[in-house]
Amino acid sequence: MWNEIFSLTFLTSLLAATIRLATPILYAALGQIFTQKAGILNLGVEGTMIVSAMAAFTVSYFSGSLWLGFISAIVVGVLWSSIMAWLSNTMNAVQVIAGIGLNILGAGVASYVYRIIFGVRTLPPQIDPFPVVELPLLSKIPVIGPVLFCNNVPTYIAFLLIPVSWFLMERTTFGLRVKMVGEHPRASDAKGIHVTLIRNIAVLIGGACAGAAGAYMSTAYMNLFTDNLVQGQGFMAVAVVIFSKFRPGWALVGSLVFGFSNALQMRLQAIGAGIPNQLLLMLPYIVTIFALISTSRKAEMPSAYTKPYVRMER
Amino acid sequence: MMKRRLRSSISTTWQTAVIVVAALLLGALFIAFAGESPLECYGVMLEGALGSMSRISEIMIKMVPLMIMALGVSIAFRAKLWNIGAEGQMIVGAITSAVVGLYIPLPPWLHMIIAPIFGMIGGALWAMIAGWLRVRFNANEVITTMMLNYVALYLLAYMVYGPMQEPGGYNYPQSSSMAESIQLTPLGAGLRVNTSVFVAIGVLILIILFWRSRFGFTVDLLGHGTKITNYAGLNANRTIIWTMMLSGALSGLVGWIEVYGVHFRLLEGIGAGFGDLAVVITLLGKMSPIGILFASFFISALLVGGATMQRMTAIPYSIVDIIQGLVIVLLITQPMIQQKLQARKARGIYVE
Repeated sequence: MWNEIFSLTFLTSLLAATIRLATPILYAALGQIFTQKAGILNLGVEGTMIVSAMAAFTVSYFSGSLWLGFISAIVVGVLWSSIMAWLSNTMNAVQVIAGIGLNILGAGVASYVYRIIFGVRTLPPQIDPFPVVELPLLSKIPVIGPVLFCNNVPTYIAFLLIPVSWFLMERTTFGLRVKMVGEHPRASDAKGIHVTLIRNIAVLIGGACAGAAGAYMSTAYMNLFTDNLVQGQGFMAVAVVIFSKFRPGWALVGSLVFGFSNALQMRLQAIGAGIPNQLLLMLPYIVTIFALISTSRKAEMPSAYTKPYVRMER
Repeated sequence: MMKRRLRSSISTTWQTAVIVVAALLLGALFIAFAGESPLECYGVMLEGALGSMSRISEIMIKMVPLMIMALGVSIAFRAKLWNIGAEGQMIVGAITSAVVGLYIPLPPWLHMIIAPIFGMIGGALWAMIAGWLRVRFNANEVITTMMLNYVALYLLAYMVYGPMQEPGGYNYPQSSSMAESIQLTPLGAGLRVNTSVFVAIGVLILIILFWRSRFGFTVDLLGHGTKITNYAGLNANRTIIWTMMLSGALSGLVGWIEVYGVHFRLLEGIGAGFGDLAVVITLLGKMSPIGILFASFFISALLVGGATMQRMTAIPYSIVDIIQGLVIVLLITQPMIQQKLQARKARGIYVE
């Protein structure tokens, strides 16, 4: 067994699976960095992802275009998260509850619409997922090549989004405003920043990214839609954001930790290792709790985290 | 005083009824979208939920655990501790109470006392982790309880595939079944509803009394902020931990009910979705014990009726999730809408 684990093929396939499993979490986490930095804890990512996954699959199935499916999923993600934006910024609802409500609603709507459109079948309808695109030359490097440069296009896009979101957050006025409304909404308001608008945009960015994450699940990682396709990945993304202390680069590290522990248990199961895979599956969640402890202590969370901004109140 | 309280509770009941009706009407749109008649489908649902004695028994089977769990969640929620880990706490309670029944040889009557206590301790300790992390490290309890849900889920999977798996049981993810002498007894021949109904009634009464007790007041006070609690000369940190433990203990008790009264063994997927349902019920019941009693009946009837509707019509079971989601969304918009309406009314008076 150990020979098998330390072989090059095992390592390569393990790391390749890590990337595939980390990508949807990375997508969702990058968007949530903006949402959470603006002071909004959107626990409804899970719901956004499942609705978008359904939309991506359905559109791809009927139009035959994966990219049309991918884009529709992003649009659906934005529309769906606009409910969250309205609830948290206009209705000043308790964000935790709004998120839970939208998760239940999302799971219901996705499963309902899918069943109405496709009916009950013995074999689920399938599509051809995004193909692997081998980058010339780079993909020929041993181990690194097949792991990093033999992926589908949505994966490459996710990795490109890391520097993009870093730039947006750290080097633009918009990023500064997002941080400001999360840190001190009243001061931002006094400065003439439209707090509600910035917060709304931050939630919608999160929705767009969760939409892409959902699309990745049903059209790139898998080639079909099932009710339990997302299974906690939205929550993992929320956890990764906190783990990363809102830094895009660290969000990649967090996503890879989740992806790796998931990939490891799958691979170990595949070769029939006698290690209980359930204990491995616990790992990312325990890591998150520890990461949360180290973050919360230094008070690195935005000061107005989960607090609605009311102009009239003091 | 009495009169005012009565009037305010009547108006709350009205508002909640309006929200439920609104959610059902919006749900009707989804049914119409599927090309079915909403009236007919809701008729089938009602028939399926309340049509016969065995249907009522099915409602009770769901209502007992959900009500107890929601009562537990409401304790944490009223203290503004967003404990969304009821499911994990219930799972751990199920494991700990199952350990008693499977491995500790005791006379049956003693089992009936020790097993629920073990369940409650399991749930309480699991919730205590989140409470302690909150007090010690200021860790957001939403995230920690959520993460602990997953840890509990995999702990259960580990147990039923590993050390607690039924010996010689075709490798199913489940434990051996509990001896018949320690199972909860059904209330009638052919019915699944069992003596746990009395447990539920007992818990309901205790929680009503709890809110009138000194500790109940402290919990409500904590809901107004930790500073206020400390100013009142009470220890906020200690209250947080005890509140979480009490909340978790009730979920743990539900773990015992599911193991000894419904499935008669520990198995994977026990209590799936219970956590979310408990949150819906808590909110719909406005966190009051009597409110939760009615809300748990409504949601259980929705679950049982929804299952019938799926069998008899072309409407998928997920309509139940849609209605629940709508209920939550409408509930949390209610305070703001009310505020706007009141502001409009006030302005009207000013103009006159």
